[in-house]
Amino acid sequence: MTSVCFYFEVHQPMRLNRFSVFNIGKTESPFDYFDNQLNEKIFHKVANKCYLPTNKLLLDLIDQHDKKFRISYSLTGTFIEYCQKHVPEIIDSFKDLVGTGAVDLIEETYFHSLSGLYTDLTEFEEQVYLHNSMLKDLFRVTPKVFRNTEAIYDNRIAKKVADMGYKGIITEGAKKILDWRSPNYVYKAVDNDIKVLLRNYMLSDDIGFRFSAQGWTGFPLTADKYSSWMAQNQGDLINLFMDYETFGEHHWQDTGIFEFLKHLPENVLNHEHMDFVTVREAVERYEPRGTIDVPWAISWADEDRDVSTWLGNDMQRACFQELQDLGPQIKKEKNQKKLEAWRKLQTSDHLYYISTKGFEDGAVHSYFSHYDSPYDGFINYMNILQDFKQGMKPKP
Amino acid sequence: MKVAMIGWEYPPFKTGGLGTHCYGLTRGLADKNVDVDFYMPKTNKKAISDKDNLHIIEVGEASIYPYDRPEDSELEGNFFESVYRYNDLIVKKVNGKYDVIHCHDWLTMKAGVQLKEKLGVPLVVSVHSTEYDRSGWIYPNQWFIDIEKEGMEKADIIIAVSNFTKRILVEKYNIPEEKIHVVHNAVYRLGRGEKQDIVLFLGRLTIQKGPEFFLKAAKKILDHSDIKPTFVVAGKGEMLSRLINQSVDLGISQHIMFTGLLTEEEVEHIYRIARVYVMPSVSEPFGITALEAISAGTPVVVSKTAGVAEALTNCLRVDFWDVDEMANKIISLLKYDVLHSTISDEGEKECDLFTWDGVADETMQVYRGVI
Repeated sequence: MTSVCFYFEVHQPMRLNRFSVFNIGKTESPFDYFDNQLNEKIFHKVANKCYLPTNKLLLDLIDQHDKKFRISYSLTGTFIEYCQKHVPEIIDSFKDLVGTGAVDLIEETYFHSLSGLYTDLTEFEEQVYLHNSMLKDLFRVTPKVFRNTEAIYDNRIAKKVADMGYKGIITEGAKKILDWRSPNYVYKAVDNDIKVLLRNYMLSDDIGFRFSAQGWTGFPLTADKYSSWMAQNQGDLINLFMDYETFGEHHWQDTGIFEFLKHLPENVLNHEHMDFVTVREAVERYEPRGTIDVPWAISWADEDRDVSTWLGNDMQRACFQELQDLGPQIKKEKNQKKLEAWRKLQTSDHLYYISTKGFEDGAVHSYFSHYDSPYDGFINYMNILQDFKQGMKPKP
Repeated sequence: MKVAMIGWEYPPFKTGGLGTHCYGLTRGLADKNVDVDFYMPKTNKKAISDKDNLHIIEVGEASIYPYDRPEDSELEGNFFESVYRYNDLIVKKVNGKYDVIHCHDWLTMKAGVQLKEKLGVPLVVSVHSTEYDRSGWIYPNQWFIDIEKEGMEKADIIIAVSNFTKRILVEKYNIPEEKIHVVHNAVYRLGRGEKQDIVLFLGRLTIQKGPEFFLKAAKKILDHSDIKPTFVVAGKGEMLSRLINQSVDLGISQHIMFTGLLTEEEVEHIYRIARVYVMPSVSEPFGITALEAISAGTPVVVSKTAGVAEALTNCLRVDFWDVDEMANKIISLLKYDVLHSTISDEGEKECDLFTWDGVADETMQVYRGVI
């Protein structure tokens, strides 16, 4: 049997307001950092293009296939807050999805942060608990599988997550950790027994990146063709992990992405040796075939598949350090508002916008960025961090 | 391949990007075994070539420069006359067998058009600036526009220094898009010096270059921050006295240094030691100075209405009128070392993409298209 494990990352960052050096020291509330207007506009756009139609389609598909079509999601805390504020029916539709029993939820840091790379992992742990209680409150789900921000993974994170009681963890099936080995099996971490699910990046990126690329040899990609590629794969498990926004946002409706998705379950299930599993079922059903050892952090991002996407240049590292150093002071102050703002500033996207990577990766970065350049991203973010550091002036 | 190129300035004598471009282009072409005869007016600093297949031919004298503008009606007569005289002389002097005529900007376009007829070879016209740019879009002079338009219409193909300029040619001169080929400028790298607390403006002191916005941003910076850099205004031009008055009125004159026109060596030196270069042009077809500055490791804040803003990735872009944002970016460069070092390292690397060899290659492609 080869199981297909579909998992979607659902995330929206809280983009920042324009903040110049002249604003430093003049902020009334730390929530003024966030560009509510822009954020709301983008959220509504993506909700209509992706979240609402895709949720509906997947719910129909699960019904049609009598729950044999099974999927998993990780919903970030910032995404859920957007839903609550702007389009609450998205939460209802996720509740419906979870209610089918064919949908599992994945744990992560509430703020989609890089706290897993901090020297002290207390903040990381706190953000995971926040996410955990959010899922419990809203969906009555307690996840067994963890996926760190953008699949960032190293031995230290794996150990921490195992200690926190999770049975599985997700990361990239990067060549540099697998070498000749296949991502289509479950592995285990070094030093502990947590199971590791590895993203099959070839097949995942066929949908995520290449689906609408007309110059690609696989174009046009049909559900039939794609299923037959999967059927030829050897191994226990094919992990297809991608941004949820792939459907309708990265690839617009007119590319045929929804038609593709609509026909995928039947085409996969036509192959007798294939089925679908959630991440929880994947770690329950399959035993590890080897150990993966990752001393230096990897991720699913860019060609490098490491953390250089967020920490690749001095500007990013300076902001990251500044952000991390603020922690102890803010926690001492016990000001909930400040703590929350600091955590929203930790969302990895803010550092992503400051990446200076060239060529193909750079083009992807600028697609996602609302800044004119990474330098503008740095100036804005660093000015805000400076303001944060100076502390808010007491209101008159 | 043999090219008759008609220019107006050439180092060591030059007043702007036109001379820099002609120097880089002719040498780049010569290195690719193209024979180039470069025609220009006689100057007191004789231009020379050390290449066998590149000849600098000086033709008569001219007392005007490509960026000059007639200031009153008396001068106007002399000005226009001088232009016609030079063009007539060129038409007489250029003889023999050429594969292509290549002329640069309005000053040489009349000659280009006539030579095309006289010699029966294709005409390539390079546009380094238009009357709209030079006037800062305030009362552009129809006399220049007519010459430019005629030259562009008669040319077999046009080279524009940026897409920014290409759009102007399409929208204001009604030139078909497919007739215009964009070739960005290049730079001979300068290398870094010991940086000092200098924020630099360098260019002609005219409306087009936006020096008054530089002073307004300087005021914002000096009022706001603890950092008190020296703001250097290098160059000469009709706005000088107005700018000096402006800096006094703003109460910042002790922080502003007006250098007047600098020599080539002084220009290179100040690029090397400046911490930030600012180019707040109202309308800048390209802006080679921005490349020169970053090639000296000096980060640049450039106007969005400049060709270089579309070509150079590692720079900070602003609207020329948005002095608050200009000040924000300058202060950030002075205050955040990591920003300064990243942009200057990446920018210096990026200069490898802007070579005169590359410009010569692209220009030859254009020639081949019409020969």
